[in-house]
Amino acid sequence: MSLIREIVTELFGMFMADGWLAFGALIVVGIAALLVSTLPTYPLAAGVVLLVGCLAILVTAADREAKRRSTE
Amino acid sequence: MGASLWSVTGPAVGSAFFASLVEVVEAFTIILAVGTLRGWRPTAFGTIGALGALAAIIALLGPLLDRVPLQALQLAIGALLLLFGLGWLRKAVLRAAGIVPLHDEAAIFMTEVAQLTRGPARNGTAFDWIAALTAFKAVLLEGLEVVFIVIAVGAGRDLVWPASLGALAACLAVLAFGLAIHKPLARVPENTLKFGVGVMLSAFGVFWTGEGLGIPWPGRDLALPVFAGLFLGVALATASILRRPLTELVR
Repeated sequence: MSLIREIVTELFGMFMADGWLAFGALIVVGIAALLVSTLPTYPLAAGVVLLVGCLAILVTAADREAKRRSTE
Repeated sequence: MGASLWSVTGPAVGSAFFASLVEVVEAFTIILAVGTLRGWRPTAFGTIGALGALAAIIALLGPLLDRVPLQALQLAIGALLLLFGLGWLRKAVLRAAGIVPLHDEAAIFMTEVAQLTRGPARNGTAFDWIAALTAFKAVLLEGLEVVFIVIAVGAGRDLVWPASLGALAACLAVLAFGLAIHKPLARVPENTLKFGVGVMLSAFGVFWTGEGLGIPWPGRDLALPVFAGLFLGVALATASILRRPLTELVR
Protein backbone atom coordinates (compact mmCIF):
# COMPACT_ATOMS: atom_id res chain seq x y z
CA MET A 1 0.00 0.00 0.00
CA SER A 2 2.83 2.35 0.89
CA LEU A 3 4.42 1.70 -2.53
CA ILE A 4 1.17 2.49 -4.35
CA ARG A 5 0.76 5.66 -2.27
CA GLU A 6 4.32 6.69 -3.17
CA ILE A 7 3.69 6.06 -6.87
CA VAL A 8 0.47 8.10 -6.79
CA THR A 9 2.23 10.91 -4.89
CA GLU A 10 5.09 10.85 -7.42
CA LEU A 11 2.68 10.97 -10.37
CA PHE A 12 0.74 13.83 -8.78
CA GLY A 13 4.01 15.65 -8.04
CA MET A 14 5.13 15.29 -11.67
CA PHE A 15 2.37 17.63 -12.78
CA MET A 16 1.39 19.52 -9.63
CA ALA A 17 4.73 20.22 -7.91
CA ASP A 18 3.75 23.91 -7.75
CA GLY A 19 -0.03 24.22 -7.39
CA TRP A 20 -0.03 27.89 -8.40
CA LEU A 21 1.90 27.19 -11.63
CA ALA A 22 -0.32 24.21 -12.52
CA PHE A 23 -3.50 26.20 -11.86
CA GLY A 24 -2.18 29.19 -13.84
CA ALA A 25 -1.18 27.02 -16.82
CA LEU A 26 -4.61 25.34 -16.90
CA ILE A 27 -6.33 28.75 -16.73
CA VAL A 28 -4.23 29.96 -19.70
CA VAL A 29 -5.18 26.81 -21.68
CA GLY A 30 -8.84 27.42 -20.75
CA ILE A 31 -8.71 31.06 -21.93
CA ALA A 32 -7.05 29.99 -25.21
CA ALA A 33 -9.77 27.35 -25.74
CA LEU A 34 -12.45 29.96 -25.04
CA LEU A 35 -10.87 32.37 -27.54
CA VAL A 36 -10.75 29.67 -30.24
CA SER A 37 -14.46 29.01 -29.83
CA THR A 38 -15.55 32.67 -29.51
CA LEU A 39 -13.19 34.14 -32.15
CA PRO A 40 -12.95 31.35 -34.75
CA THR A 41 -11.82 33.79 -37.45
CA TYR A 42 -8.76 34.81 -35.38
CA PRO A 43 -7.40 31.50 -34.04
CA LEU A 44 -3.90 32.96 -33.89
CA ALA A 45 -5.06 35.34 -31.12
CA ALA A 46 -5.60 32.25 -28.95
CA GLY A 47 -2.11 31.05 -29.90
CA VAL A 48 -0.56 34.33 -28.80
CA VAL A 49 -2.48 34.19 -25.49
CA LEU A 50 -1.33 30.58 -24.95
CA LEU A 51 2.34 31.31 -25.64
CA VAL A 52 2.59 34.65 -23.82
CA GLY A 53 0.44 33.35 -20.95
CA CYS A 54 2.72 30.34 -20.40
CA LEU A 55 5.83 32.54 -20.47
CA ALA A 56 4.21 34.90 -17.94
CA ILE A 57 3.21 31.98 -15.69
CA LEU A 58 6.81 30.68 -15.74
CA VAL A 59 8.29 34.06 -14.76
CA THR A 60 5.67 34.70 -12.07
CA ALA A 61 5.98 31.18 -10.57
CA ALA A 62 9.79 31.45 -10.36
CA ASP A 63 9.54 34.96 -8.86
CA ARG A 64 6.93 33.85 -6.29
CA GLU A 65 9.11 30.94 -5.16
CA ALA A 66 12.21 33.18 -4.98
CA LYS A 67 10.33 35.70 -2.80
CA ARG A 68 8.87 32.92 -0.62
CA ARG A 69 12.34 31.48 0.02
CA SER A 70 13.88 34.89 0.71
CA THR A 71 11.37 35.54 3.51
CA GLU A 72 12.03 32.14 5.19
CA MET B 1 9.53 19.41 -45.99
CA GLY B 2 12.80 17.96 -44.66
CA ALA B 3 13.52 20.94 -42.41
CA SER B 4 9.92 20.99 -41.23
CA LEU B 5 10.01 17.26 -40.39
CA TRP B 6 13.30 17.56 -38.51
CA SER B 7 12.09 20.62 -36.60
CA VAL B 8 9.81 18.21 -34.66
CA THR B 9 11.61 14.84 -34.96
CA GLY B 10 14.99 16.21 -33.85
CA PRO B 11 13.63 17.96 -30.73
CA ALA B 12 11.41 14.94 -29.89
CA VAL B 13 14.33 12.48 -29.99
CA GLY B 14 16.69 14.96 -28.29
CA SER B 15 14.18 15.75 -25.51
CA ALA B 16 13.54 12.03 -24.91
CA PHE B 17 17.30 11.35 -24.81
CA PHE B 18 18.28 14.17 -22.45
CA ALA B 19 15.22 13.86 -20.17
CA SER B 20 15.85 10.12 -19.91
CA LEU B 21 19.52 10.80 -19.18
CA VAL B 22 18.50 12.92 -16.14
CA GLU B 23 16.02 10.31 -14.87
CA VAL B 24 18.25 7.28 -15.49
CA VAL B 25 21.20 8.94 -13.72
CA GLU B 26 18.92 9.44 -10.67
CA ALA B 27 17.75 5.82 -10.75
CA PHE B 28 21.34 4.59 -11.31
CA THR B 29 22.56 6.40 -8.17
CA ILE B 30 20.00 4.54 -6.01
CA ILE B 31 20.64 1.19 -7.73
CA LEU B 32 24.38 1.62 -7.19
CA ALA B 33 23.85 2.40 -3.49
CA VAL B 34 21.54 -0.59 -3.00
CA GLY B 35 23.73 -2.99 -4.99
CA THR B 36 26.96 -1.95 -3.29
CA LEU B 37 25.52 -2.14 0.21
CA ARG B 38 23.00 -5.00 0.07
CA GLY B 39 24.15 -7.16 -2.87
CA TRP B 40 23.52 -7.24 -6.61
CA ARG B 41 21.13 -10.22 -6.80
CA PRO B 42 18.13 -8.55 -5.08
CA THR B 43 19.02 -5.23 -6.78
CA ALA B 44 18.92 -6.86 -10.22
CA PHE B 45 15.67 -8.63 -9.25
CA GLY B 46 14.03 -5.31 -8.26
CA THR B 47 15.37 -3.51 -11.34
CA ILE B 48 14.19 -6.20 -13.78
CA GLY B 49 10.82 -6.33 -12.00
CA ALA B 50 10.38 -2.57 -12.42
CA LEU B 51 11.40 -2.72 -16.10
CA GLY B 52 8.80 -5.45 -16.55
CA ALA B 53 6.14 -3.33 -14.84
CA LEU B 54 7.05 -0.37 -17.10
CA ALA B 55 6.85 -2.61 -20.19
CA ALA B 56 3.39 -3.77 -19.04
CA ILE B 57 2.26 -0.13 -18.61
CA ILE B 58 3.50 0.71 -22.14
CA ALA B 59 1.82 -2.40 -23.57
CA LEU B 60 -1.47 -1.36 -21.94
CA LEU B 61 -1.24 2.34 -22.82
CA GLY B 62 -0.03 1.93 -26.43
CA PRO B 63 -3.22 0.44 -27.91
CA LEU B 64 -5.35 2.86 -25.87
CA LEU B 65 -3.52 5.88 -27.33
CA ASP B 66 -4.24 4.63 -30.87
CA ARG B 67 -7.98 4.85 -30.14
CA VAL B 68 -7.92 8.50 -29.03
CA PRO B 69 -8.52 11.02 -31.86
CA LEU B 70 -5.25 12.83 -32.70
CA GLN B 71 -6.52 16.34 -31.88
CA ALA B 72 -7.86 15.29 -28.46
CA LEU B 73 -4.59 13.44 -27.78
CA GLN B 74 -2.54 16.52 -28.72
CA LEU B 75 -4.66 18.72 -26.42
CA ALA B 76 -4.50 16.35 -23.43
CA ILE B 77 -0.80 15.61 -23.82
CA GLY B 78 -0.03 19.26 -24.58
CA ALA B 79 -1.71 20.41 -21.36
CA LEU B 80 0.09 17.71 -19.31
CA LEU B 81 3.39 18.66 -20.97
CA LEU B 82 2.83 22.28 -20.01
CA LEU B 83 2.32 21.32 -16.36
CA PHE B 84 5.36 19.00 -16.41
CA GLY B 85 7.68 21.12 -18.59
CA LEU B 86 6.95 24.46 -16.91
CA GLY B 87 7.50 22.74 -13.53
CA TRP B 88 10.93 21.45 -14.63
CA LEU B 89 11.86 24.81 -16.13
CA ARG B 90 10.79 26.74 -13.04
CA LYS B 91 12.97 24.50 -10.85
CA ALA B 92 15.90 24.76 -13.28
CA VAL B 93 15.57 28.58 -13.30
CA LEU B 94 15.57 28.64 -9.47
CA ARG B 95 18.65 26.37 -9.40
CA ALA B 96 20.44 28.46 -12.03
CA ALA B 97 19.66 31.57 -9.95
CA GLY B 98 21.20 29.93 -6.86
CA ILE B 99 17.88 29.97 -4.97
CA VAL B 100 17.44 26.18 -4.90
CA PRO B 101 20.55 24.02 -4.31
CA LEU B 102 21.88 22.04 -7.27
CA HIS B 103 21.10 18.32 -7.50
CA ASP B 104 24.06 16.42 -6.01
CA GLU B 105 24.25 12.73 -7.00
CA ALA B 106 27.15 12.05 -4.61
CA ALA B 107 25.11 13.44 -1.66
CA ILE B 108 22.03 11.46 -2.74
CA PHE B 109 24.19 8.31 -2.91
CA MET B 110 25.43 8.89 0.64
CA THR B 111 21.88 9.57 1.92
CA GLU B 112 20.62 6.37 0.30
CA VAL B 113 23.51 4.38 1.80
CA ALA B 114 22.76 5.86 5.25
CA GLN B 115 19.05 4.97 4.96
CA LEU B 116 19.82 1.40 3.88
CA THR B 117 22.34 1.04 6.71
CA ARG B 118 19.69 2.13 9.23
CA GLY B 119 17.18 -0.36 7.78
CA PRO B 120 16.79 -3.98 8.96
CA ALA B 121 19.97 -6.03 8.56
CA ARG B 122 20.18 -8.84 6.02
CA ASN B 123 18.99 -12.14 7.43
CA GLY B 124 21.71 -14.69 6.55
CA THR B 125 21.04 -16.31 3.19
CA ALA B 126 17.38 -15.13 3.00
CA PHE B 127 16.46 -13.02 -0.02
CA ASP B 128 16.88 -9.28 0.72
CA TRP B 129 13.41 -7.93 -0.10
CA ILE B 130 14.22 -4.45 1.19
CA ALA B 131 17.02 -4.10 -1.37
CA ALA B 132 14.83 -5.49 -4.16
CA LEU B 133 11.94 -3.18 -3.25
CA THR B 134 14.20 -0.09 -3.03
CA ALA B 135 15.63 -0.80 -6.50
CA PHE B 136 12.14 -1.60 -7.86
CA LYS B 137 10.74 1.69 -6.54
CA ALA B 138 13.62 3.81 -7.87
CA VAL B 139 13.46 2.33 -11.38
CA LEU B 140 9.65 2.38 -11.51
CA LEU B 141 9.28 6.00 -10.32
CA GLU B 142 12.03 7.42 -12.54
CA GLY B 143 10.92 5.14 -15.38
CA LEU B 144 7.35 6.44 -15.22
CA GLU B 145 8.67 9.93 -15.96
CA VAL B 146 10.65 8.57 -18.94
CA VAL B 147 7.55 6.76 -20.26
CA PHE B 148 5.47 9.93 -19.94
CA ILE B 149 8.09 12.08 -21.70
CA VAL B 150 8.50 9.57 -24.57
CA ILE B 151 4.73 9.35 -25.10
CA ALA B 152 4.24 13.09 -24.67
CA VAL B 153 6.86 14.24 -27.18
CA GLY B 154 6.15 11.41 -29.61
CA ALA B 155 2.42 10.72 -29.66
CA GLY B 156 1.38 14.00 -31.31
CA ARG B 157 3.21 13.14 -34.57
CA ASP B 158 3.55 9.35 -34.46
CA LEU B 159 7.11 9.69 -33.19
CA VAL B 160 6.86 7.36 -30.19
CA TRP B 161 9.35 4.86 -31.67
CA PRO B 162 12.08 7.44 -32.51
CA ALA B 163 11.57 9.01 -29.06
CA SER B 164 11.80 5.53 -27.45
CA LEU B 165 15.10 4.97 -29.24
CA GLY B 166 16.34 8.28 -27.81
CA ALA B 167 15.37 7.13 -24.30
CA LEU B 168 16.95 3.70 -24.84
CA ALA B 169 20.19 5.34 -26.01
CA ALA B 170 20.24 7.38 -22.76
CA CYS B 171 19.74 4.20 -20.67
CA LEU B 172 22.58 2.44 -22.47
CA ALA B 173 24.86 5.49 -22.16
CA VAL B 174 24.29 5.75 -18.39
CA LEU B 175 24.70 1.99 -17.94
CA ALA B 176 27.95 1.96 -19.94
CA PHE B 177 29.45 4.92 -18.04
CA GLY B 178 28.14 3.63 -14.73
CA LEU B 179 29.62 0.16 -15.20
CA ALA B 180 32.90 1.71 -16.31
CA ILE B 181 33.39 4.08 -13.36
CA HIS B 182 31.27 2.24 -10.74
CA LYS B 183 30.51 5.52 -8.94
CA PRO B 184 27.53 7.93 -8.91
CA LEU B 185 27.55 10.00 -12.11
CA ALA B 186 28.09 13.21 -10.17
CA ARG B 187 29.70 15.11 -13.05
CA VAL B 188 26.66 15.01 -15.32
CA PRO B 189 25.56 18.67 -15.68
CA GLU B 190 22.11 17.78 -14.35
CA ASN B 191 20.71 21.30 -14.09
CA THR B 192 21.91 22.31 -17.56
CA LEU B 193 20.21 19.21 -18.96
CA LYS B 194 17.07 19.90 -16.92
CA PHE B 195 17.07 23.52 -18.13
CA GLY B 196 17.31 22.41 -21.76
CA VAL B 197 14.72 19.67 -21.40
CA GLY B 198 12.36 22.01 -19.51
CA VAL B 199 12.64 24.47 -22.40
CA MET B 200 11.86 21.76 -24.97
CA LEU B 201 8.98 20.20 -23.00
CA SER B 202 7.38 23.63 -22.44
CA ALA B 203 7.75 24.43 -26.15
CA PHE B 204 6.20 21.05 -27.06
CA GLY B 205 3.43 21.75 -24.53
CA VAL B 206 2.46 25.05 -26.18
CA PHE B 207 2.82 23.51 -29.66
CA TRP B 208 0.68 20.38 -29.03
CA THR B 209 -1.92 22.30 -27.00
CA GLY B 210 -2.26 24.82 -29.83
CA GLU B 211 -2.53 22.03 -32.43
CA GLY B 212 -5.14 20.32 -30.26
CA LEU B 213 -7.15 23.54 -30.08
CA GLY B 214 -6.93 23.92 -33.87
CA ILE B 215 -4.56 26.91 -33.87
CA PRO B 216 -2.72 27.13 -37.23
CA TRP B 217 0.82 27.99 -36.07
CA PRO B 218 2.65 30.19 -38.61
CA GLY B 219 5.37 28.10 -40.28
CA ARG B 220 3.65 24.95 -38.95
CA ASP B 221 6.33 22.64 -37.44
CA LEU B 222 8.97 25.37 -37.71
CA ALA B 223 7.11 27.22 -34.94
CA LEU B 224 8.46 24.68 -32.41
CA PRO B 225 12.11 25.87 -32.46
CA VAL B 226 10.86 29.47 -32.25
CA PHE B 227 8.86 28.63 -29.10
CA ALA B 228 11.90 26.86 -27.67
CA GLY B 229 14.03 29.95 -28.34
CA LEU B 230 11.47 32.17 -26.59
CA PHE B 231 11.26 29.89 -23.53
CA LEU B 232 15.06 29.70 -23.38
CA GLY B 233 15.47 33.47 -23.60
CA VAL B 234 12.79 34.21 -20.99
CA ALA B 235 14.06 31.48 -18.62
CA LEU B 236 17.68 32.69 -18.85
CA ALA B 237 16.59 36.30 -18.30
CA THR B 238 14.48 35.28 -15.28
CA ALA B 239 17.37 33.30 -13.76
CA SER B 240 19.66 36.25 -14.31
CA ILE B 241 17.25 38.72 -12.67
CA LEU B 242 16.55 36.41 -9.72
CA ARG B 243 20.22 35.56 -9.13
CA ARG B 244 21.08 36.65 -5.63
CA PRO B 245 24.11 38.84 -4.92
CA LEU B 246 27.25 36.77 -4.26
CA THR B 247 27.50 38.01 -0.67
CA GLU B 248 24.03 36.69 0.08
CA LEU B 249 24.90 33.29 -1.47
CA VAL B 250 28.07 33.01 0.65
CA ARG B 251 26.16 33.92 3.82
